[in-house]
Amino acid sequence: MSEFKTQLLHYQNFLHQIRAFFYSRKVTEVKTAALLSNPISDVYIDSICAIVNKEIEKTKSLYLHTSPEIEMKKFLARGSGDIYQICSVYRDNEQGNQNFNEFTMLEYYRLDFDIHKLIDEITDLLVKLGWRHNIKRISYKEAFIKYTGIDILQTDFDALKSIAKSHGLSVEFDWIEDLQMLLFIHLIEPQLKDYPACFVYDYPKQQCALAQIDGQVAKRFELYLNGVEVANGYQELQSAEDYRHRFNNELAKRKQLSKSTSTIDEQFLQELKEDLPFCSGVAIGIERLFSLIGL
Amino acid sequence: MAKYSTSQFKNGLKLMLDGKPCSIIQNEIVKPGKGQAFNRVKFKDLITGKTLEKTFKSGESLEGADVMELEMQYLYSDGSSWYFMDPSSFDQHELDQAAMGTAINYLVEQDNCIVILWNNNPISVTPPNHVILEVADTDPGLKGDTAGTGGKPATMNTGVIVQVPLFISIGERVKVDTRTNEYSGRA
Repeated sequence: MSEFKTQLLHYQNFLHQIRAFFYSRKVTEVKTAALLSNPISDVYIDSICAIVNKEIEKTKSLYLHTSPEIEMKKFLARGSGDIYQICSVYRDNEQGNQNFNEFTMLEYYRLDFDIHKLIDEITDLLVKLGWRHNIKRISYKEAFIKYTGIDILQTDFDALKSIAKSHGLSVEFDWIEDLQMLLFIHLIEPQLKDYPACFVYDYPKQQCALAQIDGQVAKRFELYLNGVEVANGYQELQSAEDYRHRFNNELAKRKQLSKSTSTIDEQFLQELKEDLPFCSGVAIGIERLFSLIGL
Repeated sequence: MAKYSTSQFKNGLKLMLDGKPCSIIQNEIVKPGKGQAFNRVKFKDLITGKTLEKTFKSGESLEGADVMELEMQYLYSDGSSWYFMDPSSFDQHELDQAAMGTAINYLVEQDNCIVILWNNNPISVTPPNHVILEVADTDPGLKGDTAGTGGKPATMNTGVIVQVPLFISIGERVKVDTRTNEYSGRA
């Protein structure tokens, strides 16, 4: 058998194991639209635009999904129950050894799960996929204390700037969350390479994205395998108002950075007439997981 | 000097970092799922040889360093300075002990080596990977030991001490790896 064929079978088996895992737990596989009317509102994620129907004189712009999150949340709002999806997603303006304009994402949602229950389940999934190493959990705050002595949740923007300066790093930031990320990438992430697998949870509330906020922290987590970010999960926001507020915040930031902006997906907010059920969801980079799981 | 943006960063690029000339040895782009892209970069400080790590927002830029690497011939030392000649221009350059670093241990007159110039001043020198040195002092080896299974310290004509096989005696010329300070054979 050719080496290429062996690789194909290996990858097929990997996907099969993921599907079998969810089947056994009664999580339903779904397929949502990849061509959307609205680009994503995240400040640092850019949608790829597709101009369609020009020759039939019905020209319009559609956007390749950067993640199936919003479409899957519409399913949740319609009563889908637990769901997962494995699909290609597309992002503009990506570069580097680990970043591509197209990659495969496993996105899934669990009703009545908080982030710790979801972390437990992802741990089970890793073991099912053959992971044999320890899996550590550390809160964002503990990680900063352990490696830098900084109490990241209590340190304001100016104090963080002085810390960045003392490390010879840029302090040209509009928002504290970007500086928190710089310090995390410079001081913490290289240390996470010491752990084969590590969940970092309870992010500073400024990095809430679409996660629920509880006091100083956003109920959000990331999974690092050998120091590489592989998954990002939230205890999901539930009300249309909260989503509208977060989307508008991101769009305002995009505007401030002179990036393209658009309108909010009103259809999604319409679907949230009743709140989204309490749930946690996660996006996992499949290529990264596949390449790191064999380690 | 020209400015270089993070998108132009690559290994070997010479940049000014906090007023010091440095060379990029590793450039990693990190783009958090929910954040902007950063470049995590490892530099070698060309004066001290130390490794530094910095992280930049993608899009930041740094000033290039006016650094040249030239092959030169080592001429002689007067004890406080070491003199080199650029064979293409016959220009002579003077290095102090700090700039010489560990190259002091390996250079004998007439040897060719790489001298790094910053703003036309020599700041460091890299000897060839292998040099031929003469054993100035070592204990006599055990008679009959020609297999070289053991080892002993030997002081070379440059003053550096290298572990050599037992059969090597004073006055012999040996090949030394300057990166590891290891004996790599008889010359």
